[in-house]
Amino acid sequence: MRPIDLARTLIAFVVLVLLHFTLRPLLGWRVGPDFLVIALLLVAIRVRPGAAAVLGLVMGIVADSIELHAFGAGALAMCCVGFAASWLKAVFFADDMFLNAFFFFSGKWAFDIIFLLAERRVGGGELLRELLVWSPITAVVTALWGLLTLLILRPILRPSRT
Amino acid sequence: MSSVARTYGRRDTILLAGCVVLSLVALFLPERMREPLATTLRRTVLAPLVSLQSDAELSRRAWATREERVAARDSVTLRSMSVDALSAENARLRDLLGLGARLRWGFVPAEVLSGRGVGEQYTMPLSAGARAGVREFSPVVAPEGLVGVVKTADPTMSIAIMWSHPDFRVSAMAADGSAFGIVAAHLGSGPERYLLEMRGVPVRGTIPPGTEIVTSGLGGTFPRGIPVGVVLGELETSELWARTYLLRPAVLPSAVSAVMVLLPARADSGVAGVWQTGQGTLAATRAIVNAGDSLSRKSGADSASATATPDSLSRAAATAEPRR
Repeated sequence: MRPIDLARTLIAFVVLVLLHFTLRPLLGWRVGPDFLVIALLLVAIRVRPGAAAVLGLVMGIVADSIELHAFGAGALAMCCVGFAASWLKAVFFADDMFLNAFFFFSGKWAFDIIFLLAERRVGGGELLRELLVWSPITAVVTALWGLLTLLILRPILRPSRT
Repeated sequence: MSSVARTYGRRDTILLAGCVVLSLVALFLPERMREPLATTLRRTVLAPLVSLQSDAELSRRAWATREERVAARDSVTLRSMSVDALSAENARLRDLLGLGARLRWGFVPAEVLSGRGVGEQYTMPLSAGARAGVREFSPVVAPEGLVGVVKTADPTMSIAIMWSHPDFRVSAMAADGSAFGIVAAHLGSGPERYLLEMRGVPVRGTIPPGTEIVTSGLGGTFPRGIPVGVVLGELETSELWARTYLLRPAVLPSAVSAVMVLLPARADSGVAGVWQTGQGTLAATRAIVNAGDSLSRKSGADSASATATPDSLSRAAATAEPRR
């Protein structure tokens, strides 16, 4: 990645992280968008899988430190999702809105699945309800916000021409 | 979007494995080690993010509770309004208790039963009746002065007419006793309907504005000395040998919620000293003036006797001189 592209990606990443800690609590929705996952996916497709896993680990530790659901569960989910996103980027990240939306949806749902299973806070019917009802809804919301973010940040995220 | 396919090598796998291991370590970290680590992160590198998040939460709560705050503010305002009304009522009841303490005996406290609506501006049902000793023509008074007179007395309640009733009459006089007349409702229009007029005052009896008018005690219904109103000015009438004065009533109809009904025995024995009218002030002023006059007369007499003493001495000296 060229320095200019790296700087642009970094700006988009910072904007999304800030949105996660400002807009998300401001909205206060039960199924709010996860801007951290969107930021991770945006960066993961531009770096190697190992780097994406490390970034996911750091972001997960940050999220776990603040939200305190289960320290480490977010980190595990983030590094797995980051690695997988970077690995699958050739498949998903085409210039197609539907594929991008599906990419965000899959990333968020996968994150929730790993997180809830690793967290071991809920189980049984409640776990199923979380995994099959709330997580997909949250993933849809995240996908919509991800698409909106892509539209807004398109000038920044467009690769520079040599 | 970048769609460049990249392969991943052993280094990526090792990094992934390392990250997973670290995550699992963090996940299974004992509570006593996990919490200090998270706290340290929150208080150092993550402090700005934590601050942003808490500010956003506060903003959302402030926005979400704005209607509750408006409702709470309205409730407080409403309560403060009723507090003023309660304070006024308390003050009035205290005045009524003060009046009761001054009357000491021969009265019945009563409440005005209905919130006077249209058509009830001139009469008022009272909660005390004949069983409590209330009789027809019993005077109805308030701490400020005369309210009206009982028209009918049922066993448990009574109906009184207020001074604003067209049939109401009371014999009254200036507080200093300089002029007498009959006070009745001023049947004017608009706000003047709630004023009184004092009729039949002899032409020689001029009453200046501001003079307090009290009941005269003539006629036997009302004892002497209950405040009726204050003179606002003289009214132009066609009568040649009598004057008519416009009065501001001592008791406002809107302020009447609890009253005292004077029993016949109390009305007969009088209410001297119960209301502090100008009569007492006038009497005190006169007493002070008289006392001052006495002192000046005494000092004059003393100085006269002091002057007389040297004169007598000089006269004695003059008569003794030729003897030498």
